[in-house]
Amino acid sequence: MAILSDKEKLMLKIQSCSFAMKEAELFLDTHPTCAEAIEYYKKHREMNEQYIKAYAEKYGVITMDQQSSDKKWNWVETPFPWERSVD
Amino acid sequence: MWQYEKKLQYPVKIKEPNPALAKIIVSQLGGPDGELGAALRYLSQRYSAPTREVQAIMNDIGTEELSHMEIIGTILYQLTRNLSIKEIKESGFDVYFVDHTTAIYPIAASGVPFTASYFQSKGDPITDLHEDLAAEQKARTTYDNILRLADDPDVRDPIKFLREREIVHYQRFGEALRKTQDLLDSKNFYAFNPSFDK
Repeated sequence: MAILSDKEKLMLKIQSCSFAMKEAELFLDTHPTCAEAIEYYKKHREMNEQYIKAYAEKYGVITMDQQSSDKKWNWVETPFPWERSVD
Repeated sequence: MWQYEKKLQYPVKIKEPNPALAKIIVSQLGGPDGELGAALRYLSQRYSAPTREVQAIMNDIGTEELSHMEIIGTILYQLTRNLSIKEIKESGFDVYFVDHTTAIYPIAASGVPFTASYFQSKGDPITDLHEDLAAEQKARTTYDNILRLADDPDVRDPIKFLREREIVHYQRFGEALRKTQDLLDSKNFYAFNPSFDK
């Protein structure tokens, strides 16, 4: 197993939470009154929001609406995900 | 509408280029059971789905397929970086290279370009959902075949993830079919088309 940088570890947490949410979304589409799944979805959404915010502050934006600078368009500062991260 | 997130649904980090493998895996981008066809199938069919729940499952699985297209594109991109002309010739990648260099283009492994005739959007939910169930199984078999042909763990790992998603989608489409059938005449599911007949 490759040794992950702090940046990669945080991205992996975001990917894990987003995936848990995606899985719950599809389940809820066909089980829309499952309280347990709604709770699971909300728990992961909360964690994901924190990780995404922390990632944007440390390493740059994931979505355009995380723009914070008044001088530079942050969207063009971060790599697109197909670029193999070597940092 | 959609909002883009600058991240992959599942990480892809391939150390060793392998153009021969890229030539095979490109089928899951633009081949008969690939991710582009899957995305277009569900995102086309969703309009005539009979209930909010079935619309949601087609919309949300179709959306996930777009992120799978991106995973396959990334695998292809990373497998074809920094190639020498010698490697391109010896791997058989030359037949792709001549038309596309190392760009990402949706074709089947046989070289046939992507076509909308790989899928249907029939306007009858029983028909569409049966196609969707078959499509997920066909994609799962293709991923099984890729896993028979690929040795590199960096490639196998995201391919295994995509294979598992086909199984989950099959389950969800099965539930959507059951919910659709619950709305119909239990003595004859084909007595009317809930998306057309009033």
